[in-house]
Amino acid sequence: MDIEKFLREITAISGLSGREKLVAEYARESFLPYTDEAEIDDMYNMVVVHRGAEGGARIMICAHMDEIGMVVSKIEDDGSLRIWKSGGVDPRVLPASRVIVKGENGSLLGVVGAKAPHLLTPDEQKRNYSLDELYVDVGLDKESAEKQIRIGAEVTFEPILTKLGNGCLASKTMDDRACVGMMLECAEILSKRKTWANVYFTASSQEEVGSKGAETAAFRLNPDLAIAIDVTHGPVNGAPPDSTYPLNKLCLTKAPLIQKKLYERIIETADKLHIGVSRGVSGGDTYTDSDNIQFARDGIPTALIELPLKYMHTSVETLSLSTLHDGARLLAEFCSAIEAGWEEELWS
Amino acid sequence: MELKELCLLRGISGDESEIRNYIKKECLKYTENVRIGRGGCLIAEIRGRKNPQKRVMLSAHMDEVGFAVTSACEDGLLRITAVGGIDSRVSVSKRVLVGSRALPGVIGAMPIHLQSPEDRMRVMRLSDLFVDIGESTKAGAEKAAPINSSVTFDTPYTEFGAGFVCCKALDDRVGCYNMLRLMEKAPFDDTVIFVFTSMEEVGLLGARTAAYDVDPDEAIVLETTAANDIGMVDETKQVCRAGKGVALSFMDRRTITPRALFEHALSVAEKNGIALQVKSGTTGGNDAGAVHTSRRGIPTITLSVPCRNIHSPASVCALSDIEAQYHEAEALISNTDWRN
Repeated sequence: MDIEKFLREITAISGLSGREKLVAEYARESFLPYTDEAEIDDMYNMVVVHRGAEGGARIMICAHMDEIGMVVSKIEDDGSLRIWKSGGVDPRVLPASRVIVKGENGSLLGVVGAKAPHLLTPDEQKRNYSLDELYVDVGLDKESAEKQIRIGAEVTFEPILTKLGNGCLASKTMDDRACVGMMLECAEILSKRKTWANVYFTASSQEEVGSKGAETAAFRLNPDLAIAIDVTHGPVNGAPPDSTYPLNKLCLTKAPLIQKKLYERIIETADKLHIGVSRGVSGGDTYTDSDNIQFARDGIPTALIELPLKYMHTSVETLSLSTLHDGARLLAEFCSAIEAGWEEELWS
Repeated sequence: MELKELCLLRGISGDESEIRNYIKKECLKYTENVRIGRGGCLIAEIRGRKNPQKRVMLSAHMDEVGFAVTSACEDGLLRITAVGGIDSRVSVSKRVLVGSRALPGVIGAMPIHLQSPEDRMRVMRLSDLFVDIGESTKAGAEKAAPINSSVTFDTPYTEFGAGFVCCKALDDRVGCYNMLRLMEKAPFDDTVIFVFTSMEEVGLLGARTAAYDVDPDEAIVLETTAANDIGMVDETKQVCRAGKGVALSFMDRRTITPRALFEHALSVAEKNGIALQVKSGTTGGNDAGAVHTSRRGIPTITLSVPCRNIHSPASVCALSDIEAQYHEAEALISNTDWRN
């Protein structure tokens, strides 16, 4: 499988929270050669299954496919678009960014503009532009813009995948479609193995607005255990201590509700495979799908594997491909090693 | 030769060789009389058919705004300084090309999740921004991108909307593009000296030397200028509008256009049905500032294409304005009889 091609293509699809349909369909086509029973549910969660033994444990592996971005809030008299955020967009990265506006008859290029520096008052010069001071230029007058663009239209970063040195890739929406890619690699590995466990690969919707897709998918699948995979922060200057992790290792975060034995089991598996991991600690929420999966129904033992990525929620989210491969191997080995009686030690 | 090629070539002020070599090759298609002046400007002369003793200088600058690498950090990131006027706010989360091998890089930023409330308000200075080329050690970064490596924005060329174009370096490859088109059109009645200047963005340095060198009777500068025509800009600050024609300055921060030449440009536009707008502000400055005070004084006029997001990785011009600049420049060099 050509993972770089997969990442290039899947990150190029606009898919804000609640608008994941096209991403879900692309993911389904990508997984089908390695898995069975693809289903896209009403929330646009995409689930495929690696079949294990009948009566075998049911493992849910979950990575979200929605992305942060903007929506059109108004079309001004000069034809420019006002925007509002969908998910945690950082207005600091927007000035002079190129974006894709989903028009009625196809995608349009837009350029985010702001008042020029030489026109700012001394007070304005001291602070960043807020979202309502920015506009999107689509090169149209009001009348043409209104014909092609509706209020609420999707606005996402222009997709460009850049290969940096040392096997690093930079693109929009590596958060969290890179982890969908990790699942895909895992599915490929498992397709050549017989396992006792049945593995439900879930590309979830609406993570960026509160893990709503994962919550309903976990209810529907009702798995015996779950592993959420998401991105975490790579090193960046000025970050608070203990908030970032090197790109070349997976990060395993322990939080109160991360199931302790599952967490330990993953670390043991990583050791066995000689995969280096960093360890993270959260005193409460992890702000990933794992927060909502673990509460589904009467509770689902859940763990979390994180892929460090620099510059999260920008158009240049940067990761190391080798760490993604490590994650796929780790997931595959973890799933392969789940055998009858696995749950006995869970609360010991 | 297309505008796209010219925009995508790299050449920050003082490191214009890539763009200069390309333009030189293009110039040689039209004249053998091509040379590089001592200030790094490319100078091509096409002798007039009727009045070869009358010498008109036409100029546009080749250089673009960008950055230069100042050092490598322990973690492999590159520190940079701006070459030309770049607001740090437009640089965050953008792609760049680094050094003579054009290594891809990104300018990252602290994620919103890790920002304190003060961080969210505070404008990042250039010293807070770093170029990431994927290297993880200082030695690796220094090897890949030695100190003083040039850094240019990496933005695709895209035509969009109702006749607009978005790219890096429209300022002033648009002018270079029209100059090359005019060379194809030459000869004219008067001798025209086509000057592709260096180092405009750092203080009009190339034009200063070229104007002295060429010593023309008059000069026409082909430029771009900030449009500020959409978004929440006070109407009085909207000095020109993209799509409404080539902009003519009666005065800017550096130059006062000779009155007779200004009137002449207006009447030439009217006579030829060329879309022209008078810039309603006096901000900005360009090579005319250095040219018009050269030697005993050189009457100089600037024809500007309005440009949105100028000096950013994603500047925007209207194709119709680029055409208007071409036609107005052609009309002016075809009719230099304005002194009477």
